[in-house]
Amino acid sequence: MSFSLNKSYKVLLLLVIFIVIIGFWNPNALLDGLQRGSLYSLIALPLALVLGILGVLNLAHGEFLTVGLYFIFMLNNRFNLDPLVAIIPTVIFLLILGAIIYWLTIKRVVKEGHLSQLLLTFGISLILIETINIFWTSMARNTYTSYSYASMEVGGFRFGTYELLYILIAVLVLVGLQLFLKKTRLGQATFAVGQNPKGAKIVGINVNYVYLFVFSVAVAILGIVAGAMLPRTAIFPEVGSPFTLKSFALAAMAGMGNLNGILFAGVTLGIGEAVINSIPNYGGWSDIVFFGVLIIVIISRSYRGAR
Amino acid sequence: MKRNSILIFSLVVILAFAFSLSSYAQDDPIKIGAVNPLGDITGDQSTKAMELAVKEINDNGGLLGRPVELIVVDSEFKPEKGAAAIDKLATVDEVDFFVGGMSSGVHQAQIPSLKKYKKITIWAGAASYLAEEAIGPDADWYFHLHPWDYQQGESYGIGWSDIAEAREEVEIGKVFLAYEEGGFGTASFESYEVLADQADEGEGPYADILSDFEGGSFKSAALGGGEYRALLRRAKEFDPDLFIWAGYAADAIPLLAQSREVGFEPPLYVGAPPGWPADFEANPLSDKVVLYGMWAPALKEVSEVAEHFWDGYIKMHQERPATYFAPLGYTNIMYLAKAIENAGTLEKEALIESLENTEYDSPLGTTLKIAPSNVIKHQGFTRQKILQYQDGQQHVIWPFEVSTAELEYPFSW
Amino acid sequence: MRKNLIILLLLIIALTLPLYTGVYILHIFSSILIFLALSLSWDMMLRTGQLSFGTAGFFGLGAYASVLIVVKMGFNPILSLLIGAIFSGLIAFILGFIVLRLREIYFAITTLALTHVFSVIIRNFSDFTGGASGTILANAIFEGDPVKIYYLILIVAVLVIIISEVFKRSRIHYAINAIRNDEITAKSSGINVFKYLLFVFVVTSAIQGLVGAVYAHQYAFVNPESTFSLNFLLLPIAMALVGGIYSTNGPIIGALLLGLISEYLKLIMPYGHLIVYGLIIVFVVLFLPRGIYSTIHNKLLKSNIIGGDKNANTASK
Repeated sequence: MSFSLNKSYKVLLLLVIFIVIIGFWNPNALLDGLQRGSLYSLIALPLALVLGILGVLNLAHGEFLTVGLYFIFMLNNRFNLDPLVAIIPTVIFLLILGAIIYWLTIKRVVKEGHLSQLLLTFGISLILIETINIFWTSMARNTYTSYSYASMEVGGFRFGTYELLYILIAVLVLVGLQLFLKKTRLGQATFAVGQNPKGAKIVGINVNYVYLFVFSVAVAILGIVAGAMLPRTAIFPEVGSPFTLKSFALAAMAGMGNLNGILFAGVTLGIGEAVINSIPNYGGWSDIVFFGVLIIVIISRSYRGAR
Repeated sequence: MKRNSILIFSLVVILAFAFSLSSYAQDDPIKIGAVNPLGDITGDQSTKAMELAVKEINDNGGLLGRPVELIVVDSEFKPEKGAAAIDKLATVDEVDFFVGGMSSGVHQAQIPSLKKYKKITIWAGAASYLAEEAIGPDADWYFHLHPWDYQQGESYGIGWSDIAEAREEVEIGKVFLAYEEGGFGTASFESYEVLADQADEGEGPYADILSDFEGGSFKSAALGGGEYRALLRRAKEFDPDLFIWAGYAADAIPLLAQSREVGFEPPLYVGAPPGWPADFEANPLSDKVVLYGMWAPALKEVSEVAEHFWDGYIKMHQERPATYFAPLGYTNIMYLAKAIENAGTLEKEALIESLENTEYDSPLGTTLKIAPSNVIKHQGFTRQKILQYQDGQQHVIWPFEVSTAELEYPFSW
Repeated sequence: MRKNLIILLLLIIALTLPLYTGVYILHIFSSILIFLALSLSWDMMLRTGQLSFGTAGFFGLGAYASVLIVVKMGFNPILSLLIGAIFSGLIAFILGFIVLRLREIYFAITTLALTHVFSVIIRNFSDFTGGASGTILANAIFEGDPVKIYYLILIVAVLVIIISEVFKRSRIHYAINAIRNDEITAKSSGINVFKYLLFVFVVTSAIQGLVGAVYAHQYAFVNPESTFSLNFLLLPIAMALVGGIYSTNGPIIGALLLGLISEYLKLIMPYGHLIVYGLIIVFVVLFLPRGIYSTIHNKLLKSNIIGGDKNANTASK
């Protein structure tokens, strides 16, 4: 497990070259991809965190995002709270929800291995989707904010401004997580637990407490994503579900525990998708790029690696 | 010894299951079996509307002196579950008729079962031409209400020709279709391609109005997509008079938002999803958006049946009908009931003949009449409606007989 | 002896089921057997230590191969089922050389990604595959006769159960167990890990292809959305885990139980039945973490000291 920045400078360099080339060829595709890719990474970060520290593959990850979106929608709808402001109560709500779910369920399977966790979180995701479906029906819902459709024009190049927020938040969350893991005591404990749970226990770290904390924080981060996303999307009971798979894909592409890699992976895949989308009549193949790149990266790494 | 407990346990589960099913049986009433996806708003409201229809029939003394019973099974949107539901209704509940249904995938899986029983079937949804081919030309017991995918594009051609004739300033020369890449959107695109080719040769409903057609696909937000900007820039470059998108309710807002973001402002902005987001009309983005569909709440102002349905539904279920599948579900039952009354019998041949000849003035604002379509003999509705969101309300623009407002033109942000 | 008696009894019940149940129950059991076969095939791969998420992908490939060969080349439907199996097995054989190098979640996500790749390719080659709308068969297999279809699916399921048992009893089993428990030791003791992995991957993928082909012929259609549905991945996994992994009996019990419960719940509780279904799954994980079969079996082992396989929490026959 590595959280270090210096190892990834080669990847960073490659990414910069890639970005420059795409930028000259098609600046729209570049910006679309950057925005979309940042969103992917932002959603994938908490999943990777839980996978890296707890070793739990959370199949209900996307559903927690859905819960966040509905919570913000409710605040917006009932109390007319702006989605971006509603992030604060939503983060608190999800922090508590995450803690409760950890305490009631995840805690008991942390040591049981991937498979029990898979089944458990599959069950949780079914329950969450259906509960939302019963309360709000399958009908799509939406909010209106005047600012989320704004665009700017610079020298004949027109681009949307709102989704730049995704890039900003993705970087902030990543930097925040890194600083936390390196600079705070709790963060160092978390890091230690992620490295070696048994060792951490011996030196007196309360592993269970760290797990509880990490899981709740991971769920809470989705509250930030939900607030940023809501002005731009319609919500429905399965709105978050496809993101579980995408997040899992990014985590695998970045490599276990490599949080910085998530951002690189997300941006690369986002731009790849955007490039295919911008070629007329080949939009239907954009999924191939996403999964094709993923497969190639994983396999080529396996050739370079020990095995 | 205790190993047997596993076996006994599973046997008990199986027996309990079988037993609970046999306790259903009742005799006397006329039984109508419906298969709907209850977890989805379309299936949910369609079912509720069917319940309303059955209640009204029974309040009026039933049919042929017998009460009517509606038995509903959830298809869960899963093909194998939808098909098993037909078997349950036919063999366990012993229903007399099949009704209901959304989703072409589920319906295609049900077709082998339906063909087995050959009971009179009146199907509300499933629009794919493949479902029609699977049913085949010989199934005289099969009646289909929803317009097939190819009929929908046709009817809009007629509509726009009418509108263009009535309103000089309205022009429909260049059409751009953005379609979701799954079965629903692709079928729509393919049927438009055929119509555009016909128009090139001076034939078909678009002959007088269409000069240029182009399309592009996107991944629906309902399936994890939701990025349309590249496609919209392409559409903007094409500069269409009429822009249509064929996706799902989840695409409505993000598509409009991104269109506005890229500065795409076609004179006619048309959406053709099977349903719209809740309270979409309250969203300022929706103003002047044109939509294709079978029904609008505003129809209650011009049609008595529509008003009767609207009031009855709200009274019974304390919620508003939000999708056209609600009035379609109501139509599904009422049409069957009327044909049974006309026939005076449940005997199959006589009833099929009666269904063929029965006309039903539906809450969808149009009269339901049976006519052959491309493959099957008994197709119900063939025409869709052109509607528009105006100042927070859905209005009917075309057909003019039931219109509740004039087209507001052109579309602008 | 008693064990054989139970197996015989169950087999007789399965074989005579059409005599005393109606079409509906037969249909439900046909679906359950479909999922049972998928569930077992997934478990067989898992026994090597490889967590596959490719079940839906090979299921879909088999379905498409068998439907297209009937529609385009007029093959006999029964024969086309074998083509479905062979096609999936062949693709697995080719891909196996690349993906079987991967372990754990990397193998899992790659097989899942392949599922998506298959479906996107099939959707985009619309001239041959029918594209996003899919393709229909003129007729369901056996003209849709439910009894014949039931027996066909029963044969497939029994075949899969037999393969699973053969895997358990033959040399393959020991090799596989060795790989799962300690791959490096297995390698050093002369087991050709890759060869065994490839063999199991091809066989299980062929099973999934066969099952997909049967499903497609039962309902007489394929389309990318329904045929590559993740239901064919998630439900079989849930069934195996609820029943108990690393065994033949576990997935069987899981498939029967979850299959019947989901149908029964739906009938008595039209709204919200999936919540209860989810709760059942959660409770099974929390209170019977090794699955129903393994938990019961392990308890028996403790009380009766039957002895036998001591492979930690693996409940073998």
